[in-house]
Amino acid sequence: MGKASQLFKTDLKGLDRLIKKLRSDGYVVYGPVKRGRSWFFLEIDSVKQVDLNYVRTVLPPKKLLHPPREKLFEFKLGDGFEVSEKPMPPTVALFGVHPCDLKAIERQDEFFSQTPEDPYYLARRRNALIIGLTCTRVDENCFCLSRGTGPEVSTGFDILITDVGNGYLLEPGSAKGLELLKSLGFQEVGDEYLEAKQKLIEELKKSFTKQMPPEGLAELAKSMLEHEVWKETAERCLSCGNCSLVCPTCYCFDVYDVLELNLRSGVRVRELDSCQLLEYAEVALGGNFRRNRFQRLRHWMLCKFGVAGGGLYSSCVGCGRCIVYCPANIDLTEVASRLRGGG
Amino acid sequence: MNPYVPRIAVIESIVDETPDIKTFRLRITDGGFSFVPGQFVMVSVLGVGESAISISSHPDDAEKFIEISVRKVGNVTGSLFRLKPGDKVGVRGPFGNGWPVDKAVGKDLLIVGGGCGQGALRPLILDVLRHRDRYGRVEILYGARTPQDLMFKYEHDVWASVPQGCLLLTVDRVPPGVEWKHNVGVVTRLFEHVTVDPANSLVCICGPEIMMHFAVKGLLSMGFKESQIYLSMERRMKCGVGKCGHCQIGGKYVCKDGPIFTYEELKLEPDKIL
Repeated sequence: MGKASQLFKTDLKGLDRLIKKLRSDGYVVYGPVKRGRSWFFLEIDSVKQVDLNYVRTVLPPKKLLHPPREKLFEFKLGDGFEVSEKPMPPTVALFGVHPCDLKAIERQDEFFSQTPEDPYYLARRRNALIIGLTCTRVDENCFCLSRGTGPEVSTGFDILITDVGNGYLLEPGSAKGLELLKSLGFQEVGDEYLEAKQKLIEELKKSFTKQMPPEGLAELAKSMLEHEVWKETAERCLSCGNCSLVCPTCYCFDVYDVLELNLRSGVRVRELDSCQLLEYAEVALGGNFRRNRFQRLRHWMLCKFGVAGGGLYSSCVGCGRCIVYCPANIDLTEVASRLRGGG
Repeated sequence: MNPYVPRIAVIESIVDETPDIKTFRLRITDGGFSFVPGQFVMVSVLGVGESAISISSHPDDAEKFIEISVRKVGNVTGSLFRLKPGDKVGVRGPFGNGWPVDKAVGKDLLIVGGGCGQGALRPLILDVLRHRDRYGRVEILYGARTPQDLMFKYEHDVWASVPQGCLLLTVDRVPPGVEWKHNVGVVTRLFEHVTVDPANSLVCICGPEIMMHFAVKGLLSMGFKESQIYLSMERRMKCGVGKCGHCQIGGKYVCKDGPIFTYEELKLEPDKIL
């Protein structure tokens, strides 16, 4: 947001009013909720359920915009077939999305907007409202700073919340967001709050330890397809696909038909898929162009480095999830640094 | 328009090409359809699934019908083989980029097909027959496993009689008792008979990737440039519109950046035999 935009301030009660207002406007509101030692985007009706100091959720908010499984259409078989598209899902509001995930949503928006547009994703996205949340802390697996995807963020949200110590700064990022803030009668404040926010962010930047700068990485990785790091790392890889499922920019899906037992009707479904799984690159007659595990690991990492798959649209935003949830402790930033000649 | 929802097509007729390849003539029931040679469609047998299949007919006929030539290799193609004229299938598309018919104007054409890859090349061959003056010399090389596995046998005489052109056939082996007066051996063996001018020609290839691998090697040594060699690639696809990811070769999508690429475009991408 530019300096010209209006700024608002509120307290915890105000955030609660915001959530309640969204619900009364018909949104199903999801926010980061702590369960055990992890956070999850779950449906909320009060700010009390939300942990505003969370680090990262297990699954990114992708699960609400590009769901793990969704019906593309229903069909009836008879003389040929009839197809009926499913009704629109409920409209969602995402409360408390961190900058890395905001950036990932922007990339998915662009990816699914390419011709021909993906009507399912875009319909859901157009109806969605996104409330960003500036991070209050980072852990050893956060590296958005080096990716240029955080901790500052200027687009991709309708409202951005920042805890500035003596309250919450609210920045509108869209007309919809501004209207909402005005309707709630929040107190307008001046630019000094932006300065306070900037100070906090500068402080936060000092706590990043991990990094994977994008500069030249794509070209470098593509020129090192035979580097030993791919095979060495793949020896540990279990090909479980966790990294894809938790990645906020992985979009790949499988499509299949499910026929009812009466054999007269059914549904065509799409389901998130992963290039780490053996079946992903299978072709006719049992062929497979990524039969070796190192090829699958390399393809996924090349995609995250921005030089395979969706290119920049599916490249890494530095959220750290694939590192945290890899059962074999594989860290793509270590692979990147090996490619750069660092050990 | 929803790119994932198929249109309904009626099977008008079926031709048995080989023991495991059939050509289906389809009429799209809700009207208009147009495509360029080399493009493909996603064909649905609802309840079973969907497969990417090249269009094997000529674009000029598209308002009346399109043809697809299908080898029985899996669930969807197996289900297609059980259908009869009058049955309905789903069709999405056309998708992909097509053969470089505009760039080929005034140039010699070398067309190299292997196995059921000939289906994707037939629209191009039909274009040569219908618009002979657009192209220079046209040589067609086609190889299959056995004489029985050759598609479009009923058209070979016409292909062979193209002025300033030739049709050279080869098979891997000839079963006992089968009459065969053409070549025996892999399709690249036919390269010694090629007379098109590498300096002013395009090569269009479709076949098993291992065959294309050796074809490219041979062509490069004959003096063709990487940018003159066009290859129709095959990967399993789930969407056809550049979203599902399955057909990726490195950073390329076979469905939307291809299926036809020059060797130059593909040579640095990983995970291919080519």
